[in-house]
Amino acid sequence: MGIVAVLWEKWVEFRRDFYKITIAAMIAPLMYLLVFSLGIQISSHGEPYLNFLIPGVVALTTMNGSFNAIAQSLNVQRLYERAFDQVMISPTPLWQFILGQVLAGSLRGLYAGGVILLLTTPIAKDLVFNGWSVLVMLLNGAVFSSIGVVVSFLAKNHADVPRFSNYFIMPMAYLCNTFFAPERIPHGFREIVEYLPLSQASAIIRSIASGGGVSIRGIVILLGYLAVFLGIAMVYIYRKKNN
Amino acid sequence: MIELEHLTKKYGDFTAVDDLSLRIGTGEFFGLLGPNGAGKTTTISMLSTLVLPTSGRVLIDGEELTRQRPELKRKISVITQEYSMRQDMNMLEVMKYQGLLYHMPEKKIRQRTDELLEFAELSDFRRRSVRKLSGGMKRKLMVCRALLTEPEIILLDEPTAGMDALSRRQMWSMLRKLNDRSLTILLTTHYMEEAESLCGRVALLNKGRMTEVNTPAAFIHSLGEYAVDSFENDETHSRFFSTREEAMAYLSTLSRSATLRATTLEDVFVTRIAESKRGEKR
Repeated sequence: MGIVAVLWEKWVEFRRDFYKITIAAMIAPLMYLLVFSLGIQISSHGEPYLNFLIPGVVALTTMNGSFNAIAQSLNVQRLYERAFDQVMISPTPLWQFILGQVLAGSLRGLYAGGVILLLTTPIAKDLVFNGWSVLVMLLNGAVFSSIGVVVSFLAKNHADVPRFSNYFIMPMAYLCNTFFAPERIPHGFREIVEYLPLSQASAIIRSIASGGGVSIRGIVILLGYLAVFLGIAMVYIYRKKNN
Repeated sequence: MIELEHLTKKYGDFTAVDDLSLRIGTGEFFGLLGPNGAGKTTTISMLSTLVLPTSGRVLIDGEELTRQRPELKRKISVITQEYSMRQDMNMLEVMKYQGLLYHMPEKKIRQRTDELLEFAELSDFRRRSVRKLSGGMKRKLMVCRALLTEPEIILLDEPTAGMDALSRRQMWSMLRKLNDRSLTILLTTHYMEEAESLCGRVALLNKGRMTEVNTPAAFIHSLGEYAVDSFENDETHSRFFSTREEAMAYLSTLSRSATLRATTLEDVFVTRIAESKRGEKR
């Protein structure tokens, strides 16, 4: 029931800010696609570069959509509006609240990624997006929503969330198998990047898009990240209550 | 019934609440008074499970309140010092969100929301976002939200802070009506006339310790029901007397300007705090 409360709250937020959310989800990915399709016309592995780029941009849009939907909003509720106090006082178990946030964030990520898929339909005729792609987008969104929950509780002020975004989310957006394959990254650093959640999500979505199979190993890695960050979120949120 | 048993909260070396034991009966209107930093808000926070006690416990109707007791938490509603609401939601949304957090059916949420907004004279503003409400309206909405879940106990942490006189009186009326419905109310306030007017009993807190509990009338009686304020060297000196005759007799001995008036709870509060400070200096 607590999950329903959070999903409803996020729905209210989405309904009210529908245009802002949609436009914000579109701008950066569209810029990437415009620059690389019209500005720099290149190919990769003998194929149009866009076939490589689109799955990566979908994955990073999902990441951004999910992380941004949760981290900033929850941080404001906790530090500025103090609305989170009412959740803590209520009989809703906190694990339900966290799960609701992760589900809602995941759906927001899926929406943002879906918008990009829709916009790229005319230029991505050869690419395949199916139920597995949706599942990976949801899973990727869930991982970054749970990171968003952790960050919102780690942040001591409102500036900390964009700061975290600059230090971790933005580098991941560029390096994690989105704009170029990790093979080009120097040995040592490459192995780290390859195992980051966005690299895994990009790789699976790209593999599906090019008609390849679904990497179960990749899905297991994403599930592992989800379990770890959900666990950290639980610890943080319960410890916060102990103060 | 609310029972606090040796409730203590420490933040490192600082003791915010020190061995507080108290019993508040069902349907009672109880006030917690004290200067800033006395431990009022920390006490309310422990009663709402927002903060865990370092030691001691809270009993609600004889059962220990913990975070893992949703059925006990459901009996309590809290009106915090801060507005603690999503600023971008409108009144109906705030109420629905609260109802869902308390697992109420939607039909009941709608019905109770209509009743409560009507009761608080907020019906005309139901679609206005919290951000656009006045301070008084926000406070009233917080009362409506607290009542939505049909609690048995309401904890109010300075509910009229920052309100103008008219809004404060309206809030008092609302609180009296609630108490008439046998709700147990625990109030913290800086406004002594508020506690005097509303509370059946009050406790004085100072530096985390409870110093006295009594009815406002008994507190005033203990100090003397008549006060004489005299002005000398740019300072006001108050003396208290049990009878009007004693006060008049003292007044007649004064050559300087002076006023005779009824003693208030604020006099008791100020006197007790001053006594406590003098005690510490010794």
